Amino acid sequence: MAISGAAIGLNKHMSPCLAAPRLHPCGRKQFFLKASASSGTSDGTEDGKMTIKKGKDGWKIDFSGEKPATPVLDTINYPAHMKNLSIHDLEQLAAELRAEIVHTVAKIGGHLSASLGVVELTVALHHVFNTPEDRIIWDVGHQAYPHKILTGRRSKMHTIRQTSGLAGFPKRDESVYDAFGAGHSSTSISAGLGMAVGRDLLGKNNNVISVIGDGAMTAGQAYEALNNAGFLDSNLIVILNDNKQVSLPTATLDGPATPVGALSSCLSKLQASPKFRQLREAAKSITKQIGPQAHEVAAKMDEYARGMVNASGSTLFEELGLYYIGPVDGHNVEDLVTIFQKVKRMPAPGPVLIHLVTEKGKGYPPAEAAADKMHGVVKFDPETGKQFKSKSPTLTYTQYFAESLIKEAEFDKKIVAIHAAMGGGTGLNYFQKIFPDRCFDVGIAEQHAVTFAAGLATEGLKPFCAIYSSFLQRGYDQVVHDVDLQKLPVRFAMDRAGLVGADGPTHCGAFDVAYMACLPNMVVMAPSDEAELMHMVATAAAIDDRPSCLRFPRGNGVGAILPPNNKGTPIELGKGRILKEGDRVAILGYGSIVQECLGAAEILKSHNILPTVADARFCKPLDGDLIKRLAKEHEILVTVEEGSIGGFGSHVAHFLSLTGILDGPIKLRSMVLPDRYIDHGSPKDQLEEAGLSAKHICGTVLSLLGRPQEALQLQ
Amino acid sequence: MNAEVISSGHLQLFPPSSNTRHCGSQLPFSGRASTGSIALKPRRRPGALRTTARAAVYAPTQTQAETFYDMLGISETGSISDIKKAYKQLARKYHPDVSPADRTEEYTKRFIEVQEAYETLADPQTRAVYDMNLGRGLHFAFSTGRRNERMDDVEEWKLRWQSQLDELRLWSMHRDNVSSAVRGKAAASPSSSWGSRMRRKRTDIYDLGFM
Repeated sequence: MAISGAAIGLNKHMSPCLAAPRLHPCGRKQFFLKASASSGTSDGTEDGKMTIKKGKDGWKIDFSGEKPATPVLDTINYPAHMKNLSIHDLEQLAAELRAEIVHTVAKIGGHLSASLGVVELTVALHHVFNTPEDRIIWDVGHQAYPHKILTGRRSKMHTIRQTSGLAGFPKRDESVYDAFGAGHSSTSISAGLGMAVGRDLLGKNNNVISVIGDGAMTAGQAYEALNNAGFLDSNLIVILNDNKQVSLPTATLDGPATPVGALSSCLSKLQASPKFRQLREAAKSITKQIGPQAHEVAAKMDEYARGMVNASGSTLFEELGLYYIGPVDGHNVEDLVTIFQKVKRMPAPGPVLIHLVTEKGKGYPPAEAAADKMHGVVKFDPETGKQFKSKSPTLTYTQYFAESLIKEAEFDKKIVAIHAAMGGGTGLNYFQKIFPDRCFDVGIAEQHAVTFAAGLATEGLKPFCAIYSSFLQRGYDQVVHDVDLQKLPVRFAMDRAGLVGADGPTHCGAFDVAYMACLPNMVVMAPSDEAELMHMVATAAAIDDRPSCLRFPRGNGVGAILPPNNKGTPIELGKGRILKEGDRVAILGYGSIVQECLGAAEILKSHNILPTVADARFCKPLDGDLIKRLAKEHEILVTVEEGSIGGFGSHVAHFLSLTGILDGPIKLRSMVLPDRYIDHGSPKDQLEEAGLSAKHICGTVLSLLGRPQEALQLQ
Repeated sequence: MNAEVISSGHLQLFPPSSNTRHCGSQLPFSGRASTGSIALKPRRRPGALRTTARAAVYAPTQTQAETFYDMLGISETGSISDIKKAYKQLARKYHPDVSPADRTEEYTKRFIEVQEAYETLADPQTRAVYDMNLGRGLHFAFSTGRRNERMDDVEEWKLRWQSQLDELRLWSMHRDNVSSAVRGKAAASPSSSWGSRMRRKRTDIYDLGFM
């Protein structure tokens, strides 16, 4: 930098890395009247924490030690405070945001790398656009951490994903800046189009921006929305955040899956051929010649030019009617701000798609290097990225499921597994490692996954669809129409059934018992522990004349004794089992909630009550004999399930009424999830909130026995 | 070659300064800075030939070594099999083992050049990058080392999206009034799309003084 003259004046603008102006270690103090790191107050304290600085290759953040000072970020409470920042300040803000996110997630766990990849995008969006009047919709909810920090929730970030804390995804109830709730992907363009059209009908003038990822673009709904957007031609900005993951990086044990389909190569083929360049230049020259007077002709020329030259490189998006801009370096704040400002100023751009290329986990070396890019993490050490995974005596249900499926597949060559971009989440990454040709990742496309499985079943194969309970909702029509109606033997393994803890209601599998058990041909079962899970996988493998499903929760096993060699034995259909013999009171549980029922039995013992505890195992076909026996031999029958109304309890009640038992003296109560959405929190807290813990079951029994006082005294 | 034709064509059609933004290596002639906006007065420069000559002088890259296509003796739009054939022929001719004794060194040098040309052009990706550089007039011997490929990509991208933005701006200024050929799906011409109608309605309200 030229130092001639003006040395004093220059001091203010020297970038921090050149000389050594020391920042005051506690950046919030009064020396910083202006939120700019370049105001080098050479206050000169020796241990100045210069841990975020701009080098030749970009910003370097020092992750060792405490959280670095964040002078610029400290001045931002809401996006309005960002309007006057210079590009340099915005870049520094981005670096500080990164540091903030890494340190916060290191303390409490959560999703990490998705947020790191969109820091610059978030900063640019909030700087250029005026939220909340302008709507920003995040498709991938778990990348909204920087968004939350910049929109007034920085001080609460340490509570994210915890009981009564911030949600891990955007939530309309939480803040006016969260325009739409996300959780299941690929919905942002649809929602954005709705907001854009609503704005047009009301005569308003704000911008609508939908951010969507390349993985979410594998879902059909994104194209349904793009198609409609192109047709309606309303002003809408779609930002395609392409980090080349297509499928979560947890897909295989060795890292991201190679792109799951042709779409991803379409995205990567956005290169121009030499002819394209030449034609474009020629076309441009012609339009320039004509000059501004001939508006219409110029527009027409442009039209033709683009139609011609885009023939070879024309992308799907242009064909659908969106104006394509890109690719753009998604980590260059200056470029992003330029583009957004230009698009914002245009009077009638119509639907525009801006293709950004970003890197997941950017700016945090351990995440960049990790095979799974540290997508979802528990507490970790910021300096090394090493996670503090707690050791549990038992594995997760997911792992037990994967083990038993692998065992079954070893014996039966016809077993194949299908999942929808959740290799890590469903445990099928293990299956893939061992049987790479028999494991299919279809991308975020549950509807296709289900019908694809149905097609496989028609050929005599034995498909296991491992899809989360709440994600299977997306493919429900296919389950009904393509699988159940035709009685095809597709097996559904619904992980994350019931309450799921920190992910909250968007991922909560509350409804699967209801929506599966009402189907005429479906066998519906639920294991109460990991050994039962293995037996049920074997049972499902053996059911070859009709569809079947089994549901299991998030969490670890309870320590049951596993069958030898992890190979389960098929259970007789429609046969439950009694775990504890007793009298007067019967507690009939369905699924893993049986463990809570056993816990309740323990508590009741101290009240001199010995209940019978039974595990129903099957919701369809119901174990009629067991239920009749329980009803006839006990005064009170309580059914418990971790599902909504309309599930197991309803089926039992229906059965009892049909057989006339309900006309008799039996006292029946069904304990189900309450008729509202349970917020995110720890699993224990959620169960308390839902009223399904051992204590609550006890309380129900005691009230029925005419001892309500004791019920109230339970703590 | 084609690149040269196009460049001189540019120079003849309109003031060269408007070209400088996109062909980075060609220096502005008239010293007028390019702002990227549309030239208001298109004119034919007198002495087109002189211009071309000047271009040759001021755009030094074009008088330097031949392009890879020249080296292989094929046209720029040659197919992959043309490239392969040409390479095989030349490799056989210039291979050190079969070169005449007195011209080994020259032939070897030629052989290496030909080989480099083949390696670049045979791989469609590197060929695409090379072609793009050609369009910009930077066709010095292109090392196939993938050094900093990403930075080159980003440079190219920037040029591309800048021009995309310009086009969009033009397009968006007139689109609601123009009933021209429609881009993308032929559902409705732009002027009668739902969005256009709503936008016109809104501006009408403004015009009528309601806002």
